[in-house]
Amino acid sequence: MSINSIDGCIGCGTCVKTCPTDVLRLDPKSGKAVIKYPADCQICHLCRMYCPVDAISISPEKSVPVIVSWG
Amino acid sequence: MKWNNIILVFSVLIGLPLLFWAVGDFPRRTILKEVLSVLTLIAFTMMIGQFYLTRNKRKMFKVKSIKKLIKLHKIIGYVFIGIILLHPFFIVFPRYFESGVEPMEAFTTLITTYNSSGVVLGLIAYLLILIIGITSIFRNKLPMKYTSWRLLHGVLSIIFIIVASCHAIDLGRHTDVPMSIFIIILSGSGVILLLKTYFSKPQNNRIKP
Amino acid sequence: MNNSQENKNISRRHFLGIAGGAVGMAAIASIGFPSNWAANKIEIDINNIEQQKNETDVLVIGGGIAGLFAAIKAYDAGSKVMMVSKGRLGSSGQTPFAKGIFAYDKNNSTYSIDEFVEAVSASAIGTNNKAYTRQVAEHSLARVNELKEWGFFDSVLCNKPFRKPIDKRGITVMERIVITNLIKENGKIAGAAGFSLDEQKLHFFEAKSVILCTGAGGFKPNGFPICDLTHDGTIMAYNIGAKVTGKEWNDGHPGQAKNAADCFDGWHGMFTKKPNITNVGIRHDLGVDLNYQAYILGNPLKMGRPGSEEPGSKVKGGPYVPEEFRRREGLPEGDKKPPKRKRPDNDGPPPGMAGDLVGGSSAGMAIHKSEGLVPINDKCESNIPGLYAAGDALGSYMAGAIYTQIGSSLAGSAVQGAIAAEAAAEYCKDIKLQAIPNSTINRIQEEMLAPLKREAGYSPAWVTQTLQGIMIPNFVLYIKREKMLKAALTYIEELRDHHMPMLRASDLHELRLAHETENMIISAEMKLKASIMRKESRCSHYRLDYPEPDNENWQAWINIFKGDNGEMKLEKQKFDSWPV
Ligand SMILES: Cc1cc2nc3c(=O)[nH]c(=O)nc-3n(C[C@H](O)[C@H](O)[C@H](O)COP(=O)(O)OP(=O)(O)OC[C@H]3O[C@@H](n4cnc5c(N)ncnc54)[C@H](O)[C@@H]3O)c2cc1C
Ligand code: SF4
Ligand code: SF4
Repeated sequence: MSINSIDGCIGCGTCVKTCPTDVLRLDPKSGKAVIKYPADCQICHLCRMYCPVDAISISPEKSVPVIVSWG
Repeated sequence: MKWNNIILVFSVLIGLPLLFWAVGDFPRRTILKEVLSVLTLIAFTMMIGQFYLTRNKRKMFKVKSIKKLIKLHKIIGYVFIGIILLHPFFIVFPRYFESGVEPMEAFTTLITTYNSSGVVLGLIAYLLILIIGITSIFRNKLPMKYTSWRLLHGVLSIIFIIVASCHAIDLGRHTDVPMSIFIIILSGSGVILLLKTYFSKPQNNRIKP
Repeated sequence: MNNSQENKNISRRHFLGIAGGAVGMAAIASIGFPSNWAANKIEIDINNIEQQKNETDVLVIGGGIAGLFAAIKAYDAGSKVMMVSKGRLGSSGQTPFAKGIFAYDKNNSTYSIDEFVEAVSASAIGTNNKAYTRQVAEHSLARVNELKEWGFFDSVLCNKPFRKPIDKRGITVMERIVITNLIKENGKIAGAAGFSLDEQKLHFFEAKSVILCTGAGGFKPNGFPICDLTHDGTIMAYNIGAKVTGKEWNDGHPGQAKNAADCFDGWHGMFTKKPNITNVGIRHDLGVDLNYQAYILGNPLKMGRPGSEEPGSKVKGGPYVPEEFRRREGLPEGDKKPPKRKRPDNDGPPPGMAGDLVGGSSAGMAIHKSEGLVPINDKCESNIPGLYAAGDALGSYMAGAIYTQIGSSLAGSAVQGAIAAEAAAEYCKDIKLQAIPNSTINRIQEEMLAPLKREAGYSPAWVTQTLQGIMIPNFVLYIKREKMLKAALTYIEELRDHHMPMLRASDLHELRLAHETENMIISAEMKLKASIMRKESRCSHYRLDYPEPDNENWQAWINIFKGDNGEMKLEKQKFDSWPV
């Protein structure tokens, strides 16, 4: 399901800023990144590449049905 | 020396974290990253294990000469303190081999993120273990009686293990619930055992090396 | 995350099956889509929203490569500059994913600039604007050299190299602010307005001049990393009277059949590469020809890349390709000297486009630089005084309505950013900052926050997916004919008239989605209307009912603007001319 899990997050907030589609947010309680809007993940891996501790895992499947032109 | 017990201790210290790592629901990454993670995990449990490999536990291991036990304690200490000291670099090191933020930049972000307690705890623990390491290497050069050094060593270790456990549980990539419980039990009983020796067995302090 | 669980029940194959058919449109509406359906549980304290006013000479909207150069060059020309973007500098829009940048070096090229412009025009069948084609050749090397200095070519990620010149100049960059409105007072641009994604705060910008660097957009398609772009700049500008163009053209990138939404793997690791420089190499990359083959022969396709001619895979008819550009895989025969070509990890189709494909990975996006604001001169100026646009937000027709020069999209954005900046800085010199009247502020605030106030309505996710079901099928978007375009237009008008006014949002993320959905609906309307109007086939616009180029009537671009009554109007503008 697109962005998958976050393990070992230090709460730096980089991924929140970095995600073009605003999928991630810092949880106000734990101070760590959470996958708040997984349906909007475009599977571009920017968050993963920018994360300083490589905490983010992404899988290739989209969490909502995919519409294509022909298939 | 009763090796059976020593082996038992090691299999708990190394085997259980390996088991939790293996069965836990963690994303599997490159071999390099997993090796570094596992190394860090074991280094940490071995540090907790140091609480059990002290002269106070000599009865448990039925040790005749304390020297052997102390030697083991020292070797383990220096090796795994080294790994603990390196582990922040382990986290950014694999970036040299893959695309993404540059390792040094990542490292700077890593050690300057203070809005979650995890990093702050980590930095404190890092300093403590550094001090523990240095005061152990230069014990003989310190203007300090052995008994006071021992007290210092024990107290620093207790603070370290508490702070470091909080850090590991908060930030560790592999500290899921079973791993956290394991860490808490292991370090908790280690600390309690040590405290017990301070308060209930004052005669122990009289022993000279 | 429960959403994904729910959706596992619908198999993707089953879904694709229905989405492809005409029943798709109706069926989609009945499928269980995510996001909280029922009540709009508003998480925002709507009565406690702050307002912040910002003043500047030049406001740059967008943090891609066009925005970067716009900000820097306007500053260097003496203006007070502010940059605002809904994403992060160098980590939003299309810029982070482009890896080949074109630099024309006259000492190192077999082409003169004139020859370069001629070659592009030949491939573009006249659709290119020669002034802008020439401009990219003239200025690209200088921009590329600047990028080199900032470390752009040494880094996979471009936030840091982009920050370098920005920080050196102390330019204010405001990130994660979604601009929803451009503001015009007394016939001139007066600023812009938007909302923050992180705090309950609206931002009003008073500016002497605005440079739109908001990039292009699409229908949040799967397989192309443009889901943050919905032609926001174009629609905002259209709403205050700017002319826009290029809506009939299509970028025709296919995606991979397996995990079609996976952009990262679909581009086979290209996102992890450092940028490189490309030389002159003119081509005629259609994309639409692939869609045509899929339409005629069905999927799976067994063929090479689009634009290539492989024996055995030839279908009769289909998009017209100029003689000199009919070539085999990657070898431009029309060129004087075929330049050394790497694997086209550039503008063209994704590298290694082997294996099974599906269509429409960039659905809703036109050829880079062919859609956007209509320039009234070669200074990136729009028909609204003080409003400029650069890069993918400007309909400069730099490359025409087809991909011609590899890497020229990045280069073109950089070049135009700088050109627009200098013009904007010049414009600012003899103009006073206009205050935005309170009445305007109140009206905009009301409009902007409306979806948060609706207790019932339609979720942006649902409307978006319905729109995708209407617009994305091959026989609507790429292989066009009048009847089908009109049918789709009926659906889109329904969305526009009944659903758009009832979009709801429960938080700031959804508020952004609501505005993006609105922009996609207007874009869809524009695309369908322009496609109906262009009764010919040319470059990336293909009509089954008018399959040939019509040079008598259609040596012209289509401009779209808002009429006096608010209705959408379309006009022709002759190729190689400026608007009158
Ligand atoms: C996968 C891929 C590969 C590509 N490869 C190449 C290549 O190799 N060579 C090449 O030349 N070109 C390539 N391109 C095209 C190239 O990336 C673009 O043409 C170019 O980057 C456009 O730059 P830009 O600055 O004009 O717009 P963008 O980079 O798209 O930037 C748009 C900016 O506007 C902001 N914005 C949008 N709407 C709003 C709003 N409402 N409020 C505030 N801010 C907003 C966005 O956050 C973003 O910062 C590729 C594109 C893609 C997607
Ligand atoms: S970038 Fe990584 S460490 Fe920083 S907040 Fe995001 S997941 Fe956590
Ligand atoms: S993969 Fe891309 S879209 Fe998905 S969360 Fe990461 S940055 Fe956002």
